[in-house]
Amino acid sequence: MELNKVDEKDIGRIRKLGLLSVLPIVFLIVGIIYGIYNGSFHSVINGFINIVLTPTILVTDFIEVGGIEAAFINVGLVGLLNIYIMHHYRLKLNGILIAAFFTVIGFSFFGKNLYNIIPIYLGGYFYTIYKKISFKDIIIALMFGTALAPLVSEISFSGLLRPFWAIVVAVCVGIFIGFILVPLSSHMLKFHDGYNLYNIGFTSGIVGTVLTSVLRSFGITVEPVNIISEKNHPVIIIILLCLFLGFFFTGIYINRRAIMDFGKILQYKGRLITDFTHLVGFGVTFLNMALLGFLSLFYVMLIGGVVNGPVLAGIFTVVGFGAFGKHIKNCLPVMLGVIVTALFFGNDLSTTGIIISVLFSTTLAPIAGTYGPVIGFLAGALHMAVVTNVGVIHGGVNLYNNGFSGGLVAGVMIPILDAFHKERNR
Amino acid sequence: MRHEAKKIAQIVSEILTLFLLNGAENIDIKVNTKVSPNEQNTEIIIIQYECEYEEEFIQKMKYNLNTQRQYEIEGYYWQLVGEDDSGDELHLVGAMVDKANVTKIGKELHIQLFRKA
Repeated sequence: MELNKVDEKDIGRIRKLGLLSVLPIVFLIVGIIYGIYNGSFHSVINGFINIVLTPTILVTDFIEVGGIEAAFINVGLVGLLNIYIMHHYRLKLNGILIAAFFTVIGFSFFGKNLYNIIPIYLGGYFYTIYKKISFKDIIIALMFGTALAPLVSEISFSGLLRPFWAIVVAVCVGIFIGFILVPLSSHMLKFHDGYNLYNIGFTSGIVGTVLTSVLRSFGITVEPVNIISEKNHPVIIIILLCLFLGFFFTGIYINRRAIMDFGKILQYKGRLITDFTHLVGFGVTFLNMALLGFLSLFYVMLIGGVVNGPVLAGIFTVVGFGAFGKHIKNCLPVMLGVIVTALFFGNDLSTTGIIISVLFSTTLAPIAGTYGPVIGFLAGALHMAVVTNVGVIHGGVNLYNNGFSGGLVAGVMIPILDAFHKERNR
Repeated sequence: MRHEAKKIAQIVSEILTLFLLNGAENIDIKVNTKVSPNEQNTEIIIIQYECEYEEEFIQKMKYNLNTQRQYEIEGYYWQLVGEDDSGDELHLVGAMVDKANVTKIGKELHIQLFRKA
């Protein structure tokens, strides 16, 4: 049992939620101001419409599709919708909620928009009515569950059906996904025993594979695409640096001993569920999120990568899970495993595909946390081999492709590791 | 609540695993599902005899088991409780119970958990 009692300022539920809402508000405001400053707000609106009307299949970078301003506005709107839901249902802010929120924010740069996530939320709502439970109970699973949102956009806008019927069918499919995802995601945890942090990615990979197979059996082609922005925007990097600095100083404001207490977070394995907000408090958690953010951003800059939509999704997801299982000690061995494997196979580290594989590979951080850095490195190496080959199975409808791969890797590795790992009585 | 019997069994399993990993040799478990006549509440009592836990361990246990009931976490993650053989999911148990009392009486550690269905 690894626990610490936490002594820090309690800033209250509303102020904590207020802190989270800074993120979408900043993107929304910067998006609007940037659009006005560039003198082409009309093109921003067109860009936003393009984002909504694109099939959003993996990998569709909204910065490329609609421009940076429209992508920011999309992030702001999706984020505020989720803040409203969290506020309305009076959710207690904890590590998992922070992770879910940051994941949604990140993927609003590539794949998620208001049009394709709302049917999934609606499906979840119908599920709660059918099961006679509160919507509050399934919000977390639903927030993560929007991983399959591209399926709604793909059916709607890829010309498979006449526009009206395409939208009707797509919305019904979205509702169906929301309806089945909650029981499925809970069940899938047992496959990897909580060692794959992006569990919904694994669940969505399975569901996406089934649904894509059904579409393919009707002769409908669903294939991944590659629409990626190849240009670095300084405004994105400035916003990220400000956000991470903000988290750093908020952490210290909440807990003056946050830097000295930081070592405590490194003792946790990170396996689901490891809620750092409860175990070490919000101060140290925010500090951890900031450090992971700096690490991710500096890595991308160091290798000469582009901070585009998919990379932003990777960075935000790593930062979000800094509240729910990830820290530098359990992330680095896995990331290193991916990097070395990519170099071994002659891949260019600065390509978006490899960068996001490195960032998202931290879904397997609990393996490094539990079994040590060498096994963590091997998990990263195996992840690199798997993730580059599973996207075609679901045709790119699952945004959390790395979560799917991570689930497969953990599901294979854990029983083997468990068989040879010495059990210790403490 | 759905899977109620299984959830109660998993909670017991998690704490039992933790005690056994810490060298427990003598444990009593009592589960009472008729705590109140009108509601379906459950009381779980686990007593470990001849234990040598330090005060810090007990305080940490108390802190983790009193996380507050969090239905959203329970709804998603309850299947992880009691599954792993590390006894690390006490925080999750805390999210699945409404009230927890942890007391050490002499060499006996008493854990009393209340859960509304």
